[in-house]
Amino acid sequence: MRRMAPRSQRQTELLRGVLDLCLLAVMDEGPAYGYEMTKRLRDRGLANVGEGSIYPLLGRLERDGMVETYRSASNGGPQRKYYRPSSAGRLALALGVSEWRAARDAVDAVLAPIKVEVVS
Amino acid sequence: MSDFVEQCRQEWRRLGVPDPLAEEMAADLASDLADAEAEGVTAEELLGSSAFDPRSFAASWAGERGVIPEPPSRASARRIPLVLVGLTALAAITVIVAALLLATGEPKVSLVASRTTRAHLSSPPAVLVVPPPRVNRQVIRTSASAPVEWILLFLAIVALAFSVWLWSSWNRSRPPAAPAS
Repeated sequence: MRRMAPRSQRQTELLRGVLDLCLLAVMDEGPAYGYEMTKRLRDRGLANVGEGSIYPLLGRLERDGMVETYRSASNGGPQRKYYRPSSAGRLALALGVSEWRAARDAVDAVLAPIKVEVVS
Repeated sequence: MSDFVEQCRQEWRRLGVPDPLAEEMAADLASDLADAEAEGVTAEELLGSSAFDPRSFAASWAGERGVIPEPPSRASARRIPLVLVGLTALAAITVIVAALLLATGEPKVSLVASRTTRAHLSSPPAVLVVPPPRVNRQVIRTSASAPVEWILLFLAIVALAFSVWLWSSWNRSRPPAAPAS
C-alpha cells in the first residue's frame, strides 16, 4: 500500500496542477519578471512553489503562447524579462479557475464532514 | 550563485540551446538570484531542490520552453543504416563474385571486344595471332587485355572501403543512447 505523502510533498503535488494558474493570476495583476512573481506568490502564502521552481513553468507558458514577454530595465537595474498573460492565457486562466473551483468544491464536499483535532 | 548559473549555461550549451536564448536565460536567472540574495532569500528557497542540481534544472527549463533542438527521429536514424547495409552487402557480394570468377580460371569476359586480327588496329596488340595449322585461325588472349572481373573486383573493394568509412562516420554522428530509466 502506498504511504501517505508527507505534508510538504502533498503541498507540492497539489500545487503542481494549479501553479500555472497561480502564475497567470499574479502576472495578470501587472507584468512581472521571474523573481517578482515568486515574491507575489510568497506574499499570498505560497512560499515554496515546489520542485523545479517557476522557471520551467514560465518556459512552458511562453512556448504555449499563454504569455507575452518583453524586456525592460527594473528600477534602474539590469534588463529583465517581463511576463503578462496573452489573450489565450487569460482565457486559460478563466477556464482553469472555473475547473479549480469545481474540483475544490467537490473535494470539500468529501472532506468537510471530517473533524480535525489538532493535538499539540 | 554564479557557479550555479555557469553550470546551467554549460548544460544549455551541451543540449544545443541557441546561444542568444541561453544567454538570456542565464542573465534572467543571475538577476533573480542576485535579487533573492539581496533580500536574504536563499537559492534553495527560490529554486527548491533544483538548487542542488543545476543540470536537471537547466534541462527542465530549456525542455519546457522548447528551445532544445529536436534529435533526429528514430525513423530517419534507421534509414541511413539501411542504405549503408545495402551498399555494404552489394560491395561484399561483388567482391566475392569477382574473386570467384577470377579463381575459377581464365576470365570469361574481356574488354577486348573483337577477336579480329586485322592490321589496322592502332592499340597495342591485344591478341596474338597464331596461324592455324590447317583451317581455322586461333585467337589466344594475352595479359594485355583488361578483364572485367579485375575491374569489378577493384571497384567492389573501393566501394567496400567507402562503406566502411560511411559506417564509421555514421557511428560517430549517432546521438548518444538515452539513459536507462
